[in-house]
Amino acid sequence: MTIKRFSIPWMLILFLFPSVVCFLLFKYYPLLHMIYISLFDYSIVNPPGKFAGLTNYTGILTSATFWEAVSNTFVFFVLYLVLTFWVPVIQALLLSEIRKGNALFRFLYQLPTIMPMVAGVLIWKWMYNPDFGLLNYWLSFVGLGPYLWLNDLDITKLAIVLPSLFAGSGISLLLYYSAIRSVPTEILEAAKVDGAGPWKRMWTMLLPNIKFIIIIQFVTFMSGVLLAYDNIYVMTQGGPAGSTTVVSMLIVNTAFQQSRFGVSAAMSAFMFLVIALLTIIQNKISSVKD
Amino acid sequence: MVKRSWQTTSLMALVTAVLVVMTACSGNNGGNGTGGNASSEPSNSPSGEPTEQASEAPETVEIVVWDKPHADDANKALREKQFADFESKYPHIKVNHMEQTKEKEREQFMTAVAGGEQPDAYFTAYPDMETYIAEGIAADITELWNGHPDKGNFLPSSLDAGTADGKIYGVPSSMYVTALMYNKQMFADAGLDPAVALKDWNSFGEAAQKLTDPAKNQYGYAILGMDWADWFFEYYVWQAGGDLTEKQADGTAKLTFTSDATVQALQYYKDLKWKYKATQKNVVQSLDDNQKDFYTGRSASTVAASDWFGTMVTKGMDIANIGFAPLPAGPSGTSPAQVGGNYWIINPKASVEKQEAAFTYAMYFSSKEVMEEGLQFNKDNGIFPNLLTVRTDIDMSQFVEGMPTDLVEGVRNAAKEPHLEYFLKSRLSPYIVKPIQTVLLDEKAEPAAILQAAQELAQKEVIDPYNSEIQK
Repeated sequence: MTIKRFSIPWMLILFLFPSVVCFLLFKYYPLLHMIYISLFDYSIVNPPGKFAGLTNYTGILTSATFWEAVSNTFVFFVLYLVLTFWVPVIQALLLSEIRKGNALFRFLYQLPTIMPMVAGVLIWKWMYNPDFGLLNYWLSFVGLGPYLWLNDLDITKLAIVLPSLFAGSGISLLLYYSAIRSVPTEILEAAKVDGAGPWKRMWTMLLPNIKFIIIIQFVTFMSGVLLAYDNIYVMTQGGPAGSTTVVSMLIVNTAFQQSRFGVSAAMSAFMFLVIALLTIIQNKISSVKD
Repeated sequence: MVKRSWQTTSLMALVTAVLVVMTACSGNNGGNGTGGNASSEPSNSPSGEPTEQASEAPETVEIVVWDKPHADDANKALREKQFADFESKYPHIKVNHMEQTKEKEREQFMTAVAGGEQPDAYFTAYPDMETYIAEGIAADITELWNGHPDKGNFLPSSLDAGTADGKIYGVPSSMYVTALMYNKQMFADAGLDPAVALKDWNSFGEAAQKLTDPAKNQYGYAILGMDWADWFFEYYVWQAGGDLTEKQADGTAKLTFTSDATVQALQYYKDLKWKYKATQKNVVQSLDDNQKDFYTGRSASTVAASDWFGTMVTKGMDIANIGFAPLPAGPSGTSPAQVGGNYWIINPKASVEKQEAAFTYAMYFSSKEVMEEGLQFNKDNGIFPNLLTVRTDIDMSQFVEGMPTDLVEGVRNAAKEPHLEYFLKSRLSPYIVKPIQTVLLDEKAEPAAILQAAQELAQKEVIDPYNSEIQK
């Protein structure tokens, strides 16, 4: 009988150490500190202030303003999901069929991603201008408009999401495209020989093979949309009439405009739980299907 | 004998050690961690002026001030000269001037406070004082102020927004008054006499309608409907004889969103947009865009502050074409103007020495000598000065030479009925902005009904918790 000698994998520890320390310091410490802050009527001058227990949580759960922001956040989520999430998947599938000029198309799809997001949003904001905006001008040629894109309570959310439909898919597209390219061409060719059309090949061969990327992308997409701030702030600052105030914006306003850091932290903790819960549910569903 | 001597020696050594430690602890003049209140006994003269009789040079104190001018600041050269002057006058105070971002200043400042990096002296606006005092971000400088020989040269009203419960928390730096800024040429072209057109709400609504011409992409009144909409809207509530909140004697707050005055004011906002059709299409556009519309001749009038003339002229407007008058009187027959401005606040957690140095710095920049230097600089460079000053000993007539007399008169008239912003603004702002934006965007919105809903919500989410906290 040989006794396996226990050895410490120093090299492994050495390589992991910096990233683990950074992760603990910059991810877990702020997260735990946020939960800590949420239990106080937090004073930034004399922290932590008065212990509040769960008062901040009960306060937000009974606040109509908070639930309106939650509702706005989920409406944005649905709009982004319906209007934008599937776009790079389709683009990647179509791109994989293109042989000539493939590199050029990939380059063209990537090009908008090098533009800073805020600059892109500002250009769209000018395009939406009701007096001088290009969008109303173009729409007038087909007899539509003028629309008050960012002044109309019914269409402001749509106006915020619209730019992502046209120029928000660069990196996702590359990931999907790479996954599609990893599907062995022999299998696809064999399916073709067996009479499987493009539609059938897509549903039965390509999509199942890129499913894992779609799931990862969905988790990233979900947290990104549920915590969206910059583009909405630049476009509307949460207005008009609070119709685009999302939870992340309410968190910032509550902390920095009203100095209610404890309440703001409770909102952050709430959103953390919601996103964690949705991610777990989504992973469960995926593993059941597998 | 030997034993006793040993005990005595030990006791003496212990007492000596304790005394040494106590001396070391109490003798910390270095400037770290004493914190607390700026009202502690100053080490120099109460004014912060260097003491001539001092036999030794005062210890150097280093302070951080967020006042470094931006690269494109028109006053950059002047400011840098003034920094150098301060350093030569007070060589024992070393100032680290830090530059702040141009936007989101409040967020940047609050982040610094939360991170324990609050600057020793900070330049802040009137509306933030309420929060900063309540949160303990501004030091109580009552004793330093009262001991300063220059305190009698400040307007008593300049201290109002920086005073709470009889204690002073800010050194007044600047003041402005708001009024209606109008384009004289556009009024003349429309055959309007400003004195008649700006008389009351009705006459102004009709004039603004007349000044609106979609064919020329021109409109009568640039209304503020963005997320700061309550800033100018409150003036209309004052004109109707009310206010948005009332501070009770016990410190609690009472909402008056549903008062006749507020409902009338909101109805008037609605009328300007839907009845007179006298505003811009994009009613939620930014304040910068409102200014731009005015100086480019798109809008004939807008609410403006008395320190905006420089901006308008820099952007190409002829100063002779700018009119400035009190806002049209509302149903109460009055037209109060909002008084705003800036204070220097001091870090309450800084050491006493740093607080004194920061106070000296603030008082220096609010002194007659420095303010007059700034006014002279503006005059020499053709910049229209802010005609309001926090000081009583500055003769503004020296610095307005060559400026249109009607403009000077307009500012003076506007300042006749000064008013501070409504109580608890920082917390209530989103609750009142929503009804304002709703009436500007929805023609069918009923002011009374939406104000009622806003009041109920604000009562539950802001006022009830606030009042119960105050009453504890």
